[in-house]
Amino acid sequence: MSPSHGGLGLKLVLDRIIMKRGSWSCAADGILVPGIHLITGRVGSGKTTLAELICGLLEPTSGELVLDGISSWMLCQQFPEYHVIGATLEKEAQSYGIVPELALDRAGLTGRGGEDPFCLSRGELRKLQFSCLSLCDRDLFVWDEPYSALDCRQKQRVAQHLSTRSSGITILFTHEQRYFPKTDYLWEMCDGVLKYVGKVPEALPWWEHAPSHIRFLIGKGVIPANLTEEDLGEALCRMQG
Amino acid sequence: MQDARLRLFSVLLLSAATYLSIAGALLTLLWLFLYPTSLVSTVKSKALYILLPFTGIVALVMQIIGENGISYFIRIGILLLLAFTIFQGWTPGEFLDLAVWLFGTGIGFDIGLAIELTIQGIKDADQDWSRVLTAMKLKGMHPEFRNLASIGFLMIQLRLLRADDQADLLTTRGYKSGGSCFPHFEPSNRDIITSLCAIPILLVSLWRFVIFLYL
Repeated sequence: MSPSHGGLGLKLVLDRIIMKRGSWSCAADGILVPGIHLITGRVGSGKTTLAELICGLLEPTSGELVLDGISSWMLCQQFPEYHVIGATLEKEAQSYGIVPELALDRAGLTGRGGEDPFCLSRGELRKLQFSCLSLCDRDLFVWDEPYSALDCRQKQRVAQHLSTRSSGITILFTHEQRYFPKTDYLWEMCDGVLKYVGKVPEALPWWEHAPSHIRFLIGKGVIPANLTEEDLGEALCRMQG
Repeated sequence: MQDARLRLFSVLLLSAATYLSIAGALLTLLWLFLYPTSLVSTVKSKALYILLPFTGIVALVMQIIGENGISYFIRIGILLLLAFTIFQGWTPGEFLDLAVWLFGTGIGFDIGLAIELTIQGIKDADQDWSRVLTAMKLKGMHPEFRNLASIGFLMIQLRLLRADDQADLLTTRGYKSGGSCFPHFEPSNRDIITSLCAIPILLVSLWRFVIFLYL
């Protein structure tokens, strides 16, 4: 089953894609339309492999990937150091094709443009990577575990920023249990197979590996309007009321 | 070839045979066909095709100045093929086993460890290169000649950072000098026979070399 969405022209088709590595395999079949897609799954379930397949960094063993109307795309890799190609923070920000001062300012690194990217902690490097990526505009944006190496405050910011992405297809791969953006479609990776759960919030009761607090709310008969902190807080109030 | 000692023995003899004469080089090429799987992997290796043109340039220069460039190209080309094919069979930890077997758990262990870390570094550099290319692809950039210096600098820096981490790790684990290691080898009859085949190849090559010197 796949989500249906009208009008906006962009479409990512995963046509019976299979990736095999020895005895392990990852399979995906579905259509992703504009909106925010949350793909959850346990460690080792194939999220990163699927993210790399979608962005053309890996060739599927079989099946076809169709980028219908998508002319630009970007992958936020799990490890921020994999993105680094600049000798200084300024050059690194420039390599994204954006105004470096703005990115450094957003990352809280104003005036440090001449420093070596590898002198930053992984968390700081992640902040820089995120601020650079947030200034990029792409038809397809794939985020692979963007919360890794971030503290709760930064995770909140990431979730808030992702919620603001109104155009194009945004895919978030994560095993995060607390901070989510305002999500349109929910998917799950179960034992290497991508499964479409449905539209949010209708699909929430069918979310197999839902975080415990969401399962608790649903168990009490309260379905949150979405997955943001505000929505979950509101649902909690409804339950108490 | 599973036994690292036999592999080292073969590669030393065959390298000498290949370098000394074309006959030795051609016989070494024939010897390589005893390990078709490794040879096929070598022929598919990109690194081989990066190194071969450099050999070709040197051979061309030699030919132009009146030396035997063709002979040089054949011998060095087969030497590269031999090195790459033999290297295909190495597995992590073998250099440590070999060095400890040769020189003991003191200096042997240190030499083996240094070789293992270097080999690991080469593999890491290969992965770093792939990651840089991926990052450039994601950012809509292409590797260009003018970028090579900065990419090279970046890769050296990555290597130094990793070496620093490895040094910290070894220190934390109490490494000062030497260590305990129990080398394990698995010689097979086939490997022993193919290794012994390297001896007549070297003798033939030496004979051809002596003839070349006195004619």
